[in-house]
Amino acid sequence: MACVQFKNIVKKFKENLVLDGINLEIKDHEFVVIVGPSGCGKTTLLRMLAGLEEVTDGEIRIDNLLVNELHPSKRQIAMVFQDYALYPHMTVAENMSFSLRLKKVGRAEISARVKEAAQTLQLEKFLLRMPRQLSGGQRQRVAIGRAIVRKPKVFLFDEPLSNLDAKLREGMRVEIAKLYQRLNSTIIYVTHDQVEAMTLAGRIVVMNRGVIQQVGSPIEVYRKPENLFVAGFIGSPTMNFIAGRLSMSGGKAVFKGGDISINVPGFVLGGAEAIDGREVVLGIRPDDVLVGARSAEHCSEKLQATLEVCELLGHRENLYLQAGQTRLVATVEAFFNQSPGSAVPFCFNYANMHFFDKLTEKRIG
Amino acid sequence: MDIIYSIYEVLWFALIVLMGIALIEGYFYYHFKFYARRWFFPAALVGFPLAAAALCRALGLAADPVKPFLWFLGSEALITLFFRHIVKGRNKLAYLLLAPAFIGLALLLVYPFIFEIYLSFHDLKLTTIMQWKNTGSLPFAGIRQYVNVFTTSPLSEVTFWALLGRTLWWTFINVFFHVAGGFTLALLLNNNIRFKGFYRTLLVIPWAMPQVVAVLAMRGEFHSQYGFINIMLVKLAAAYPILAGLGVGPVQWLSNYPLTTCTLINIWLGIPFMMVVILGGLQSISSSYYDAADIDGASYLQKLRYITIPLIRPVLMPAVTLGTVWTFNNINVIYLVTGQSGGTERADILVSALYKAAFTYNRYSYSAAFAIVIFAMLFFISVFYLKSFDAAKEER
Amino acid sequence: MNKEAAVYRRKKIVKYLLIHLAIIAFVVVCVYPLLRILSVSMRPGDKLISTDLSLIPAGAAFDAYVRLLKETLFLRWLWNSLLITVATSFIGVSLASTAAYAFSRFRFAGKKGGLILLLSTQMIPAGMLILPLFLMIMKLGLMNTYLGMIIAYSVSSLPFSIWILKGYYDTIPRSLEEAALVDGTSQVGAFWRIILPLSTPALSIAFLFNFTTAWNEYLVARVVLFSSKQYTWTLGLFELQGQYITQWGMFAAGSMLVTIPVLIVFLYSSKWLISGLTLGSVKG
Repeated sequence: MACVQFKNIVKKFKENLVLDGINLEIKDHEFVVIVGPSGCGKTTLLRMLAGLEEVTDGEIRIDNLLVNELHPSKRQIAMVFQDYALYPHMTVAENMSFSLRLKKVGRAEISARVKEAAQTLQLEKFLLRMPRQLSGGQRQRVAIGRAIVRKPKVFLFDEPLSNLDAKLREGMRVEIAKLYQRLNSTIIYVTHDQVEAMTLAGRIVVMNRGVIQQVGSPIEVYRKPENLFVAGFIGSPTMNFIAGRLSMSGGKAVFKGGDISINVPGFVLGGAEAIDGREVVLGIRPDDVLVGARSAEHCSEKLQATLEVCELLGHRENLYLQAGQTRLVATVEAFFNQSPGSAVPFCFNYANMHFFDKLTEKRIG
Repeated sequence: MDIIYSIYEVLWFALIVLMGIALIEGYFYYHFKFYARRWFFPAALVGFPLAAAALCRALGLAADPVKPFLWFLGSEALITLFFRHIVKGRNKLAYLLLAPAFIGLALLLVYPFIFEIYLSFHDLKLTTIMQWKNTGSLPFAGIRQYVNVFTTSPLSEVTFWALLGRTLWWTFINVFFHVAGGFTLALLLNNNIRFKGFYRTLLVIPWAMPQVVAVLAMRGEFHSQYGFINIMLVKLAAAYPILAGLGVGPVQWLSNYPLTTCTLINIWLGIPFMMVVILGGLQSISSSYYDAADIDGASYLQKLRYITIPLIRPVLMPAVTLGTVWTFNNINVIYLVTGQSGGTERADILVSALYKAAFTYNRYSYSAAFAIVIFAMLFFISVFYLKSFDAAKEER
Repeated sequence: MNKEAAVYRRKKIVKYLLIHLAIIAFVVVCVYPLLRILSVSMRPGDKLISTDLSLIPAGAAFDAYVRLLKETLFLRWLWNSLLITVATSFIGVSLASTAAYAFSRFRFAGKKGGLILLLSTQMIPAGMLILPLFLMIMKLGLMNTYLGMIIAYSVSSLPFSIWILKGYYDTIPRSLEEAALVDGTSQVGAFWRIILPLSTPALSIAFLFNFTTAWNEYLVARVVLFSSKQYTWTLGLFELQGQYITQWGMFAAGSMLVTIPVLIVFLYSSKWLISGLTLGSVKG
């Protein structure tokens, strides 16, 4: 097992800057998920680590060995591709053993390793089939099996679940989590799906426009997003954002944005400097927009909104509210017994309010 | 015994080709590997031309090794500089993969083309060919050959302009009937009918048969006495005297109407290709357009006009282009029908006249100039055509 | 209501009947010449020249076939054609397969120029290069030999083969090669072990295309080969048909022998050939 280091990685496609100074250290046995919208450079980063893409500038080290110029097969990595990339003209067993055969590993050894991997992934029955005779989930497992067989130092997953339908995806997610528990090896996993990131990761790396936005455990990234982008990208439904201005009145901070005006408790902003008159964006997750019974318990001051649309999801319900010019989403327990058009009092859960500077988009409290 | 010898001969040739490829690959490989070293430039300039000249000598390609040596020296200097300043060792694999094919093309397509241009400015004919074969030099002729192309007749009877007119007419008539016939057949076949696959298979036969067989067989059918067509005409005239009175009777197809005969044969040959292409296009049109038009109450002709024809255009245009070029360049049909000794010249189009001028009348340089003229025409037409095609694409 | 339905149905039946009739008329036009060859080839020796139109002649026999094989060099011609054709197809396809891979997978200086060169070679009139090739072959002393023919043919289908193969390679996902790279092959190894085996359909189509072009070629053979022992079958048949009307039967027999295998191969592969043809031209 191994650690991976990226040092000042830059990648240019002609004049197009794709990655702009990536610094990242991944420790042994760690499950790191790199997440970001499409085109943010996450797949490029992974492919550079695999050796499929040239490094424009910077250093990539695996176990302290500089691998920039090393052939992919010499890097002791294994990769699971988005489209699985199973060789269509080889059986499952041949697919899994291809790399070992290239390395001229002994026959007994090969069959033992293939068997072991097949057992782990419940593929024993399919070893002699061709890839086209398998379902999507089975192909996915073969692709993982092909990686396991090699006993690599690092596993690379490139959006492995994005070609599966929603139900299978959930199942495979659990499979991958179990696999990690068993192998306990270094895994780097790229996805654009923040749910996968939250559920699988030991550490999440959020990327946007070729820059790392935040690195942290899932709960850190969720609770303390470092900037507007991370706040908006992680969490579903998306966080509500209200642009406005902070001001001091009588020693208390007040947020004013559109038709919303609320007092901000001191602990939220910490000892934030130069509060008065600062342009900020208030972020509040739908879960923390308190409505109905919960608002009665928690709130000292209440705001008024009109209910526009209710979306029932089963055990939860999304409420689309309009408070003056501001639109908000609130998530509540089902069932919320009010019809569209009615007035709804609401308030925010102070503890989970996020403030970002409007210009720098950085977190201030 | 002959057979074994022939296999041996071909295998031997394959071995030479393989060795040639290995040589080329090795040559480029070392250029890629060492292009940046300081010693490489002088070493390559001395080593490779020497080796090449020695090889030429050994193979008996050149009696005097100095001339090839200078040739290779020049080209080696160019290649080395090219590697040093333009390629710079990048994309090694791509160039190595391309090298054999492109050297093949250069030797057997580009070089002949340049050689043809060379010929067109010199005077190679039956009386000078032995001189050329022995010494490799030819009397210079300037643009005389080009003047001759426009002023004298390529064959014994027709002029260049008559040939040009005939070619355009031939191309237009053929392509028109190919498309019309192909379209009709495709529309007929595109119905939901029984035996569709079977019909399709049979209808493709003229295209599938070896062209030589097809043309020669059809030529037989146009024979004045034993050909199917005249037999039928005779029988018709016998059965219905009125028709005979109107002039229906055996026709001397091959001697009196050679161009018509060739055109009929070529139309017969060319329809299946168009049919298959158009049928493919028709089947790719989603039936929901027709359903929508049915609900809107469109008639069959309206559907043809407003749905089928506009949607088939992207498939049809390339096929028509291809068909036009093929028809324009079709020597086979005309030569096979009229090419025997004593055959008529009244069916000849530009390209078949070119072939006959070279190989029946042995006017080599003249036909080279003739070929260049035809090529230039085709080239400008296609450039113009592609430009307008692109413009039409952008408009959409 | 019912009456209207009945009228509608009758109209429909008439319509389909007319369609079938029209198609059958075309089919007859297309197939009849072939059937005539068959019928002529089976005419008994004394009735070769006749105005008889029946498809199965009275006293059908295989005289013509026997005479063709015994009295002419037909088998030898077939053999010559086969040898030349197989050799050129092998050379053509192997050159095309690597070049097409370079065009499909790499970016390099001159890529666009190379592709344009390939397309513009298609503009050269077919008959134009016969003359310089003929002179080159003469100068090399390869007149009337297989080698001369192979040299003349080998690159003629190369641009088209490269187009077909490039189009096919383009449909193979790159991730397959990348997986192979990670698994430990070189780039060439990935081409050899993954791409080539996967491309067998396209390779066989390119091979067939090369094969049929060379197999049916007539014009170059006409000028390069001059002794009847070296003839390809196209030259042989032309001679049989051209000179003596008495050999009409043998010509027909030879035509049948050549046509039937070609027909079978063509009908089997036509779908592929057409998609290749339109692919090449659409992109051009």
